[in-house]
Amino acid sequence: MVGRHSLELALPGASIGAAAGAIAGGLTLLAGQSTGMAGLAALALAMPLALFGGLYSMLLGHGVFRPGTFGPVGLYWMAAFPVSRLTQEILSPTGALLEGVGPFLAYQAMIALGFAIGFLWVHERFMPHWLMRRAGDNPLAQELLDKYLRFARIVRSRRSSRKGGR
Amino acid sequence: MPFRKLPDAPPSVHLIGPTVFLVALGVGMGESYMWPRLVLLFGPEIRWLFLIGVTLQAFVMLEMARYAMATGESIFSGAARVFKPLMWFFFVVAIAVYIWPGHLSAGAAAFEEITGIPWMVTAIAGLILVGVVFTLAKVIYNLLENVLSLLIGALVLGTAVVAAMVGSWSDVVTTITGMFSFGYLPPEAMTATWFPVIVGACAFAGPSGMQQMWYTLHLRDSGAGMGAHQPKVRGLAHAGEEEERPNRGFMFDTENADEMAKWKGWRRWVTFDAILLFWGVTMLVTVSFTVIAQSAVRLDPGVRTAIQGDDREVALSAMSNAVSSAGSTVLGTVFLGFIALIGLNATLGLFDSFSRGQADMTYNFVPGAKKFGMSRLYGIFLWGVILFGILILLFGPADGPSGILDTLAFLSTFAMGAYCVTLLLVNNRMLPKPIRPKWWTNIIIGFGAVFYLGMLFYSLFAYGVVVG
Repeated sequence: MVGRHSLELALPGASIGAAAGAIAGGLTLLAGQSTGMAGLAALALAMPLALFGGLYSMLLGHGVFRPGTFGPVGLYWMAAFPVSRLTQEILSPTGALLEGVGPFLAYQAMIALGFAIGFLWVHERFMPHWLMRRAGDNPLAQELLDKYLRFARIVRSRRSSRKGGR
Repeated sequence: MPFRKLPDAPPSVHLIGPTVFLVALGVGMGESYMWPRLVLLFGPEIRWLFLIGVTLQAFVMLEMARYAMATGESIFSGAARVFKPLMWFFFVVAIAVYIWPGHLSAGAAAFEEITGIPWMVTAIAGLILVGVVFTLAKVIYNLLENVLSLLIGALVLGTAVVAAMVGSWSDVVTTITGMFSFGYLPPEAMTATWFPVIVGACAFAGPSGMQQMWYTLHLRDSGAGMGAHQPKVRGLAHAGEEEERPNRGFMFDTENADEMAKWKGWRRWVTFDAILLFWGVTMLVTVSFTVIAQSAVRLDPGVRTAIQGDDREVALSAMSNAVSSAGSTVLGTVFLGFIALIGLNATLGLFDSFSRGQADMTYNFVPGAKKFGMSRLYGIFLWGVILFGILILLFGPADGPSGILDTLAFLSTFAMGAYCVTLLLVNNRMLPKPIRPKWWTNIIIGFGAVFYLGMLFYSLFAYGVVVG
């Protein structure tokens, strides 16, 4: 059941990606378009962002990323965010590709760094709570929760000296 | 100060810390409105001043953290150790500047544009809600850190996505390259009309007024460094549970290599916060808003005329309308939603910070105040500023009587120059030699004092106007 366990970990990242895509992306295109087109526009951004967000959470669970480390997340979204926006522009064009695909992707990659800060910021809030709920019957969640607890213990420690702590 | 052990530093990957307060306070009208407006008027090259302002604030943040993390005391206590009247100056400035509910009314006005609910209703309801929530909170810091983190997370994610959809490569390139046009000041900027506005915008790049000083209290309550040995401020309803508070801060043994290694760990932690979270988020929000404003003007040149005026509400509506024409009417609503969110963040942060700072100074330096306890003093200041705010909203001008506005703007900017001087004195005179700031850090903070005070007095003497 490794698949199910991994998928469970994906929920926080997938939710943040979906919400960011749906709320901002969807709302910005809502007016002036038919409901169907607006829905498609929202979905076209929310889906890839949710997929990439979920993938990040899963990779975190498998130890590819370390909790709270910004650098790799920034690089990850510099690739994932432009792809998500390109998907949206292909499925529901807004004219953003008029400057050409190169400048479009470069611009999106730049904005992606900001998106990465916000994503990580919110993710670090949600993930530990979700892990606490799932740790009982998901060994991957338990393992990741232990990592978070180790960090939390260091943060909260008043007197204890960590072994080997320098 | 008595010696205690320095707690172990968290790994630098630990992401969320008290910086969230500084971001909540710092990302305000300066980032969302004043700087985008200046870019539209003078071109993106004017942003070199913003770069200096925010970078300077990141250094100030690191230096404020030095004293607070080394002693567990606020910078106010440090100031009192150097020269007690210096601390009372900040006590008075805080009351004069921060009791006016102007920031709240700006956010509420944006909310009215979206929902139609009269801004005064929202503002008063918001004030009461803040008071009740902070009163019932067991530990105020924890509650506020959680709430502000979510609000700022939403703001950062939202502005990034909106900027990604309305902006273009050329907008962001001009916005960013403009930051490196050091020395650019067009002739129109050097006039009585605009120079004071530029001084104000420089002061409002990042946290303004006393917000950096309050950050030392949040550091203490988050348990950073020697703050771990200080009890937390509780909500009024839980004031009775407060642990006994020591009379003074503590110091760690700076001759001990292990302790110094831990100190270096704490410095790494706070540097990470200052660079990535504070500098990064502030920069991101302002770049995004500038990109949005630039694309708005491209689509609707009329917005430039609207924002030249002095009326903030009109300018914000104009920007919102232009943003709407760039994407949709809902995009304009999203823009105003962000302004309302910024107003809410600032309100939560300011009310807490004001009460925390005043309670700290009262507790430590007003004879007989200790018997009330820190949490009760916090509650008294909190409800005091809320009740005053409601009265002013109902019967007076929210930003303060127009006659004293100039004085308040002057005091706010003056406080920033004054806290740079205070920092130099406190860190270099009160801390043991091994943990004092380096010479080049002192030069940067000294430059900060000259930057704020110099621009302020130049504006005053050359144009007879203080801050726009």
